[in-house]
Amino acid sequence: MQYVIVGLGGQGILFTSRVLGHIAVSRGERVMGSEVHGMAQRGGSVISHFKVGPYESPLVLAGSADLLIAFDQGEGIRNLHFLREGAQAILNIHDPTALENPHLKKYAADRSLSIAGIPGYKILHEKMGGRFLFMNVLMLGAMCGINAGNVSIDEIREAVAKLAPEKHRADNLKAVDLGYGYFKGN
Amino acid sequence: MGNKVILLGNEAIARGIVEAGCEVASAYPGTPSSEILPAVARYADELGTRTAVEWAVNEKVAFEVAATASFTGKRTCAVMKQVGLNVAADPLMSVAHFDLAGGFLIVSADDPGPHSSQTEQDSRYFAMFAKVPCFDPASAQEAKDMVFDAFDLSEKYHMPVMLRPAVRVDHCRQDVELGEVKDLGRKADFKKDIRRWVCLPAHVRITHPQLNAKLDSVREDFETLYGRYNYEVPAKGRAALGIIASGVSFSIVMDLLKAWKREDISVLKIGTPHPLPVKMVEDFIARHENVLVLEETYPVIEMQLPDRTQLKGRWNGFVPRAGELLPEVIRDLILKALGEPLPVEGATELKAAIEELKVTPKPPMLCPGCPHRASFFAMRKALPNGIYPSDIGCYTLGVNQKDVDTTIDMGASLTSASGFYLAYRTDGKDQPVVATIGDSTFFHMGILGLVNAVYNRHAFVLAILDNRITAMTGGQSNPSIGDKLRKGDEGRQVDIEGVVRGCGVSFVKVVEPYDTKDSAEVFKEAWEHARTHREPSVVILRHPCMLLRQKQAVVKVRVNPDKCIGCKYCTNFFNCPGLPFDEAAKKAKIDERFCVQCGVCIQVCPHGAIEAVEGEEE
Ligand code: SF4
Ligand code: SF4
Repeated sequence: MQYVIVGLGGQGILFTSRVLGHIAVSRGERVMGSEVHGMAQRGGSVISHFKVGPYESPLVLAGSADLLIAFDQGEGIRNLHFLREGAQAILNIHDPTALENPHLKKYAADRSLSIAGIPGYKILHEKMGGRFLFMNVLMLGAMCGINAGNVSIDEIREAVAKLAPEKHRADNLKAVDLGYGYFKGN
Repeated sequence: MGNKVILLGNEAIARGIVEAGCEVASAYPGTPSSEILPAVARYADELGTRTAVEWAVNEKVAFEVAATASFTGKRTCAVMKQVGLNVAADPLMSVAHFDLAGGFLIVSADDPGPHSSQTEQDSRYFAMFAKVPCFDPASAQEAKDMVFDAFDLSEKYHMPVMLRPAVRVDHCRQDVELGEVKDLGRKADFKKDIRRWVCLPAHVRITHPQLNAKLDSVREDFETLYGRYNYEVPAKGRAALGIIASGVSFSIVMDLLKAWKREDISVLKIGTPHPLPVKMVEDFIARHENVLVLEETYPVIEMQLPDRTQLKGRWNGFVPRAGELLPEVIRDLILKALGEPLPVEGATELKAAIEELKVTPKPPMLCPGCPHRASFFAMRKALPNGIYPSDIGCYTLGVNQKDVDTTIDMGASLTSASGFYLAYRTDGKDQPVVATIGDSTFFHMGILGLVNAVYNRHAFVLAILDNRITAMTGGQSNPSIGDKLRKGDEGRQVDIEGVVRGCGVSFVKVVEPYDTKDSAEVFKEAWEHARTHREPSVVILRHPCMLLRQKQAVVKVRVNPDKCIGCKYCTNFFNCPGLPFDEAAKKAKIDERFCVQCGVCIQVCPHGAIEAVEGEEE
């Protein structure tokens, strides 16, 4: 399983691979990933690669990722080339018309990609007082909501509960469920 | 099976340093090495070792502190990034000649790409220049293992040994085996011996040949005893291609061959690129007609071979002479070396979509609320005709506000200011110059430039952007804060104003950068003073970095569309992620996703279009 997680510096994308890594290791699987630290973290484009299984290198080859998680729709669209044919993507969408772009639709259809969008900012604005730092866990919930990522929502809940700092635990779990519920309708 | 946990490559290295019994660790932060030292402190606390763990003010200091501690027979290490090694080059060159007592490890982290550096130089070249052995890890686990071997090798030959992780190893996350601490039970025992510890020319005539002999022996060891790092993964049957690879390039090659299910390519992994096990490599080359060499970033393996003319590598340009070897690059190089077709680019639709939707990569920007943005704004407002040399830190991003005109390396803001002063002065012209430098960088290498400017009477303004942290590398302590890394260790704060005055500066003023009006006034005053007194004056702009999340007044703002004339003054000269320009509406707007409600932009708009939202001020 190969994941590519993209967003903007400061969105907390590193926590996402920590959660996925925690789950993989508790299943006894090997993990390998690559993160961005330093200047790019200052609001610029950031990308995390994460691989579960018998891999040696931390980077995902373009055209071979199973899942793209994008905290920012622009970054998501820019990085769709990482996906293999038939792969899935989940994008935090602030302008839903983008997904209707005919070229984008054709690209996705040609490669049998399924691209799902979730209005993450809107949800966090309405339900969590605009605390956008919960975007990372919301996206993990959304990932399970579209049945992607090869992990169950219970595994995500358990890992987030374990890794989130005590005082933010309840809010983190709430955001996971908001992301999940957006697709599972509850 | 031991205890496996997921670690960052840098944490794995740190864990190795503590487990191997290192007792003095010193570093200066710099991406991609910054996470190593704090992790050394954390493991030392957890495992209860007595390791001294310290941020030094610069890499030369870190190097010398750690190297000298090893003279007493203890294991020590100095950690830095590749350009930090430039700063430490002086002691590196001399200590290489020493017959050391305890093991001394240099960790120098490289940044092919580069992602976060001013060069993409190769530390292995420096190892070659200084004649010290170098290990080049291909993964986090291997980096940790190599720490032990590097210390052992250092003690076997009494010489410094370098570990050179590149960024993809530093910042990879991998399951790594934890071990126990090796308690070496050593006591500091410095044996005086001037031939050993004083680098007089007469001694170098003896130690240089000794160093050469040591290096020959290390090369022999690398040929025979280090099969865990230098080995061949043979092809099945006749090989269509032989690849020599080191570092993470090796891991990428192995993943590619596995995905392709190819068995007609043999791979020679080199984990000890200097001194190169030449016989091993020549033997591999002799058995293959077609050989590709993959290494980052310079042709260090190739340069050590008597004959490199037939190799496809960095040296002859078959492999690009610059840049990171990403999986896609390596894939294409292998196919090209095999004479096979490259994969067809099927992304024309995606490119068209990206173009239509105007999706572009986002360059880094100063954080919303960053005090530097306000400082730059005030500086330009006060001295719009100034030349603005700057330095290495978050504030280099002041380029986005057109407030950074030059950056060379750590500390060069001051020396560049001197250079500009002299060049214009010889024409008899008073050119305003404002140098900007951060607190940590000022202590790193700025002080010397200041002393030089005071001594030679150079007129310019030095703005010290004091945000109480080493911000760009993730928030490390430094002398202006005074905290130390290990639990229970107490440091002492060094007062910047005191240092500046001590250097002989008479104009020193501290301002709050969020008040851009006041700071602009002080900038003007400072330049007047510098110009008339022929000496540098100093403005200290003090406000904590946003990463410290200190409580500050919250001012909710809005852009009044009736007043905004769409002149883009704010986006050009203030450039806040929270205040983008809406091209459709031709007006600035507040982006609530990013705005932290610092309120500074209210002072920026010349048309008064940015307003506080009434009733929400706290
Ligand atoms: S980390 Fe601190 S210094 Fe760096 S851009 Fe952000 S607020 Fe400014
Ligand atoms: S108040 Fe203005 S300057 Fe401050 S973060 Fe928001 S948009 Fe940026």
